[in-house]
Amino acid sequence: MKHIDIVAYKCKACGKIHFPFHDRCLVCKKREFEKIAPQGNAKLITFSQVFNLPWGFDQRFIFIGVAEFENGVKAMGQIKAESVDELKLGMTLKPTWDVVRVISGENIYGLKFEP
Amino acid sequence: MRPVAIVGAGMIPFGRRDDDNLMDMLAYASLNALDDAGLGDKGVNAVYVANMGAGMLNHQMSVASALVDRLSLMPAAADAIENGPASGASAIKNGLFAVASGYCDLVLVVGGEKMRDVSGWRATDFVASMTHPTAEYIYGVTLPGMAGMFTRLYMEKYGVTREQLVQVAIKNQEMGALNPYAHVESRITHEGIVDSWHSRVNNPPTADPLRLYDVCPVSDGAAAVILCPLDMAKQFEKIPIVIAGFGQATDTHTLQERDDPTDLKAVTLASQQALEMAKLKPSDISVAELHDAFTILEIAESEHVGFFPKGEGGKAVEAGKTKLGGQIPINVSGGLKARGHPVGATGVAQVVDIVWQLRHELPQERQVQNAVNGLTVNFGGFGNNVLSFVLRRGEQ
Repeated sequence: MKHIDIVAYKCKACGKIHFPFHDRCLVCKKREFEKIAPQGNAKLITFSQVFNLPWGFDQRFIFIGVAEFENGVKAMGQIKAESVDELKLGMTLKPTWDVVRVISGENIYGLKFEP
Repeated sequence: MRPVAIVGAGMIPFGRRDDDNLMDMLAYASLNALDDAGLGDKGVNAVYVANMGAGMLNHQMSVASALVDRLSLMPAAADAIENGPASGASAIKNGLFAVASGYCDLVLVVGGEKMRDVSGWRATDFVASMTHPTAEYIYGVTLPGMAGMFTRLYMEKYGVTREQLVQVAIKNQEMGALNPYAHVESRITHEGIVDSWHSRVNNPPTADPLRLYDVCPVSDGAAAVILCPLDMAKQFEKIPIVIAGFGQATDTHTLQERDDPTDLKAVTLASQQALEMAKLKPSDISVAELHDAFTILEIAESEHVGFFPKGEGGKAVEAGKTKLGGQIPINVSGGLKARGHPVGATGVAQVVDIVWQLRHELPQERQVQNAVNGLTVNFGGFGNNVLSFVLRRGEQ
């Protein structure tokens, strides 16, 4: 499996975890962060089966969701599913790193969660 | 700071306007507002043009400079304002500040968007470009997708039902059918989008749990207003509409970084600021235009503005409290759901519709009786930049 190539940022002053990057902490406004990687599996916070996709997708639909990793990193990703019946809020997902989109002929990698 | 009034308002019908380019639409709406104010061949000091995507959609930039030339308004100051789907309200804010500060006496604000120049999937991609480029956009999330995820959480937390969303859609299309400026002028029935065997074809899923009739159309359109100091307003023919309150607030770019993704903090803050400035309570508002790009947003915003407690907005829709003649008529224009959503125009169109309501000049079937105070919410991104105005009927 490919490495999950996401970097989150933990504020050195107050511990707030940020993803994506901010130049100042969302809580205490300090500017020093420790880089951390998302750890373990992820809990599904919310999701949608999205039809009417934007330019660049050759599929009828995709599943999109937001999930929280075991170390508190929250991130959006695609979900490998065929039906909403396979998904439930709060369920555990396994993160993988795969092609999520092709832009100008270039493969774009990102999070793909597996139920 | 000087009190500011709206003395002219104009719009063009929203929809698919194949015969007009962006500049045509901006010019027609501007001329309608100038004529409404009775300005004839007079000029203005400044022009603010709200537009989100002329560069991407129409291959045209510097639209404000182009518009003053088209309307022969030189040497008026001219600026284009881009703030996503809240561009319209942001442009009015700039006009408000210019007049209130004393820098300008007469300002034209016009918002417009020409979205039907491109295919549906290009337009969807254009709107999705508002999302975070590396944390959201790359995954193919659309704005309906963001709304679908929000709806699922809102249903889970507050018990909003599919039926309540359906009632918003039916109400707003009912009102849109009466509005000659609306993109969608057809009524829908419960049977047609929920009950019948063909409802699954009529109303397919767009971004589960949202379906087609939960989502606003992609529209062309433009709307405009003329602003001046309140003490100059008596020089104009129409009843002045005072900008009694204004508020604006922002929130995190990504939904995932909000402590509670169902909490539309920027809507609460912006509307509170506007109401406090106007020295009014939510219960003092006669009519509201809320940013119902998705049916869930009308319900959620009605709660965040304070018209109803959290969890009660959906029930209020079912009880008819948001209909014309109800406790607080919301989106009597048909809202974004039926009037349409040419993104740069919407914030201005909301204000134009409230101006018409407060002047009491709409046909009876669309007029809120004795309307005195109106409120707008213009929702940028997915709630990360929100503006609200409170307008009050002035004295002639």
